[in-house]
Order: sequence, then structure tokens, then C-alpha cells
Amino acid sequence: MTTALNLAALATTAFGLVSAAVVLAAAGRLVPALAVLLDFLTAAGLLWLTGDPSWSTIAAAAAVIAVRKLVTAGLRPPRPG
Amino acid sequence: MEWADRYGYSPTVNTTAEVLPESALREAVDLLVRLVEAAGALIIFVGAVWAFGHFLLTMVRGAGPDRRFNRIRLTLGRFLALGLEFQLAGDVLRTAVAPSFTEIGQLAAIAAIRTALNFFLGREIAAERAEIERERRKEADGSRARAEPV
Repeated sequence: MTTALNLAALATTAFGLVSAAVVLAAAGRLVPALAVLLDFLTAAGLLWLTGDPSWSTIAAAAAVIAVRKLVTAGLRPPRPG
Repeated sequence: MEWADRYGYSPTVNTTAEVLPESALREAVDLLVRLVEAAGALIIFVGAVWAFGHFLLTMVRGAGPDRRFNRIRLTLGRFLALGLEFQLAGDVLRTAVAPSFTEIGQLAAIAAIRTALNFFLGREIAAERAEIERERRKEADGSRARAEPV
């Protein structure tokens, strides 16, 4: 199962890269493309966490999710007041 | 103790019948955890494939407004949240048998990550949905204003 999960996680990362490129080409802006890429990377991180992960895998997944949270919070446009 | 000898009774023999031995319980829980976690992983992967296909379709059909991308992201977020629920269920099941402190520690770390992510995803989905609703209302107001010139 671990091999299938690793493949799925790799495929999800690749999907994210292509989707981000598509969004960047279509919208012409970096922020939505980055948001899409981070969503896919989160999905890949969750797939890495499935099964019996080691401490390093757990730390890597936590780091990706924390970075995603920080970047999303930093890139969010200010709400119109 | 003559009767005991006659009927083969010995006080040293363990007479407690093991209805559910620990090893069997461990194997059953392990199987269930694998099934539930695999279901969660499958949901997450299906969501990723679905979102990827829709991003490509949007590109082929011609890019629309950003709202279309946001809708796809919103659905991907829903898939992730659903998959996370399954994986959290697997974590809860795994707490039934956790033999060593290392495993308990890893389980706690994974469960904490998943719970935090589930919480933030829920908030992001709600915010995204509110944003889409606000844009739709703004568009509806705009078209109504154009239709009724003063």
C-alpha cells in the first residue's frame, strides 16, 4: 500500500504543478496560482501521512501545512471595509 | 482430590477462555485502520484528480473569471476535509491499540496535524463560500441596475 500511496502523493504534486501553471497562464496572476499549488501540496502531504510515517515524514508534512497557512494568510487581499 | 484426578482437573491449568486474544484484536484494529485510512487517501486522491481535470477543462474552454478557479478550489477543499475526517477516524481507531510510547507520540502528532488542518480547512471553505456568494450578489445587483435605468 505504501508504494501506491507514494505514487499517489507524487502524482498529486505533479497535478498541482501543472494546475498552478494553468491558472497562472489563464488568470495572469501569481496569487491564485500559488493558492492552487499549495492546495495540491497539502493533499500530497496528507497522502504522505497515511500509513506508518516516520518522524521526518510527519515533520515534513507539518512544515508544508504550516508554510501553506502562512503563505495563504500573507497573500490574502485585505477585506474591503 | 480424587475427583480432580479422575476428571483431569488441575488447578495450575489456566481455565480462562480467551474469547478475544489481544493479538486478534490488534490484527482486527490494524485491518480496520488500514481500510479507513485507505478510504480517506482515496477520497483525497480522487479530489485531486477531479480538481486537476477541471482546471484543465477550464483552460481548454477559455479562462473565465477567477471565481471559477475558486469554485474548483472550494470543491478540492471539501474533498480534503472529507478525506481528513476518514483519516481522523483511523487515528481514533488506532488509539485502541498503541503499544509503545513512540507510536503514541507519532499518533498524537499526526492527529494534531490532521485536526488543525481540518479546522483551518473548514474556516477557509466557509470564507471562500462567503466570498463567492458576495461576488454573485454584486453581479446580480449590477445586472439589475443595468436593467432598470433611472
